[in-house]
Amino acid sequence: MAGAPPIEVRGLTKRYGSTVAVDDLTFSIPAGRITGFLGPNGAGKTTTLRAVLGLVRPTAGEARVAGEPYRRLRDPLRRVGAVLEADSFHPARSGRNHLRVLALAGGIPLARVDDVLAEVELTGAARRKVGGYSLGMRQRLSVAGALLGLPELLVLDEPANGLDPEGIRWLRNFLRAFTAGGGAVFISSHVLAEVAQLANEVVIIHRGRLVAQEPLETLMARAAGGTVARSPEAERLRALLAEAGLEASISSADELRVAAPPERVGEIAAAAGIVLHELRTEAATLEEVFLGLTSEGPS
Amino acid sequence: MIRLIRAELVKLSTTRLFLWLGLLIVALSGFVTTITILSTDELSLATLNQQRSLAQFAAVGAIIALIVGIVLAAGEYAHGTIAHTFLVSPVRPRVVAAKLIAGAIVGVLVTGFAELVTWTIAAAWISGRSVPFLLDSRAILDTYLGILGAGALAAVLGVGLGAVLRRQTAAIVIALIWLLVGEPVLSIAGIQEYAPGHAFAAVAVAGERSSELLGLWPGLLVALAYGIGFAAAGAVAIERTDVS
Repeated sequence: MAGAPPIEVRGLTKRYGSTVAVDDLTFSIPAGRITGFLGPNGAGKTTTLRAVLGLVRPTAGEARVAGEPYRRLRDPLRRVGAVLEADSFHPARSGRNHLRVLALAGGIPLARVDDVLAEVELTGAARRKVGGYSLGMRQRLSVAGALLGLPELLVLDEPANGLDPEGIRWLRNFLRAFTAGGGAVFISSHVLAEVAQLANEVVIIHRGRLVAQEPLETLMARAAGGTVARSPEAERLRALLAEAGLEASISSADELRVAAPPERVGEIAAAAGIVLHELRTEAATLEEVFLGLTSEGPS
Repeated sequence: MIRLIRAELVKLSTTRLFLWLGLLIVALSGFVTTITILSTDELSLATLNQQRSLAQFAAVGAIIALIVGIVLAAGEYAHGTIAHTFLVSPVRPRVVAAKLIAGAIVGVLVTGFAELVTWTIAAAWISGRSVPFLLDSRAILDTYLGILGAGALAAVLGVGLGAVLRRQTAAIVIALIWLLVGEPVLSIAGIQEYAPGHAFAAVAVAGERSSELLGLWPGLLVALAYGIGFAAAGAVAIERTDVS
């Protein structure tokens, strides 16, 4: 469907018996960007991705890919490339034959098999059995399968799990190149730092519920935090900051916390002749923000 | 649909499954055929009925076809490749249909191979005895066709059983225990002729008169009912099951 977001999830709920894996989840991802899908282990990321890909039937709600449920997509291999676990291969089948099976079933010319093997740098091992592949090689084979149909959307579930630093760098460069070509990427991870180097947007879930969906810059701004100022005239400084439209709170007798950069606080204090004993940035790390979001429960 | 069937056939041909099952057929058919010929006197061996019995040893191929069918469906769950399969072809009934058709094709090929092995081994032993070779007689053609049909239907039943259970080893073990223990127990009660193994045997022997088996057409109908029933149950099970 023209103009539809690459992925749109509305009111998605998945229950396994009495366990709620995904709870009324709603979000969408933009085209041409990398969207990180974050949450601690067990947050419901994999269930959500599998519901998006038509592998798991939602208890309620729906997930659409390019405006349609995945199961109704014609030639899905040409629309979506998916990278799921790195161990879902027949160990006695060669990497090349694995891709031949996918290409045959998906109506993809067999010439693409050698193309994607070259693209993921697996040509040399193509005729070896997958059972002898390292985790990184199996991950590359997964990516090769996802690329067979030249899709405009890649969905990756924890692709960096078990990869060595070289493999992670390869994956990062590869995904950047993919989005530079106009593709959208939806990549799940339980480690924010992994995604922070890649993503433009983040969707964060916890206990199956949406906690935040925002551009990475907004998350970074949260991490930038505020300013701590110590002054013998803390109360007078707080009033002046309030006049300037800056919210400040007194955290101890002579200490203020202000949601503003230290330069601005320093200027206001200097203009009023207020002595400052300390002026510093109070920065949380991205990881602290992430942990904060995913430990307080859904907002 | 044709591309899905081709993909299913490539899945089977790109592992060592055919090699091991082929060796199993050679070993089983070879052993039984050899023992039978060596333990049969030349007067008996010269009869059409005795040589038809030799040809019927190829029906072991139908059991192998049953296993191939189970592997076609349940093997994908065992190795996790079912996710790839449904990502490429998310309309699951089409996948099940492709597996059933591919299974039937392979069932015919496997039983055809068993017939070739039995025929070759029998020819080798009989050529050393002073008896005529009757396994190429037109009178045994119905036996060969019956075994091929039983192979196709057994593979279809195997796909259905594998899809219902989705556990490869368990499905194979249950099927073999049923054939080796379950059906003999039914024989005691005298109701074995409607059991799946006996129905397939009735097809395989092409209606040769037996007090334990149905005739060809009733046997074929019962075997078809089992094949279609298990296939339908498998299709429903796969449609309803999450891949997680």
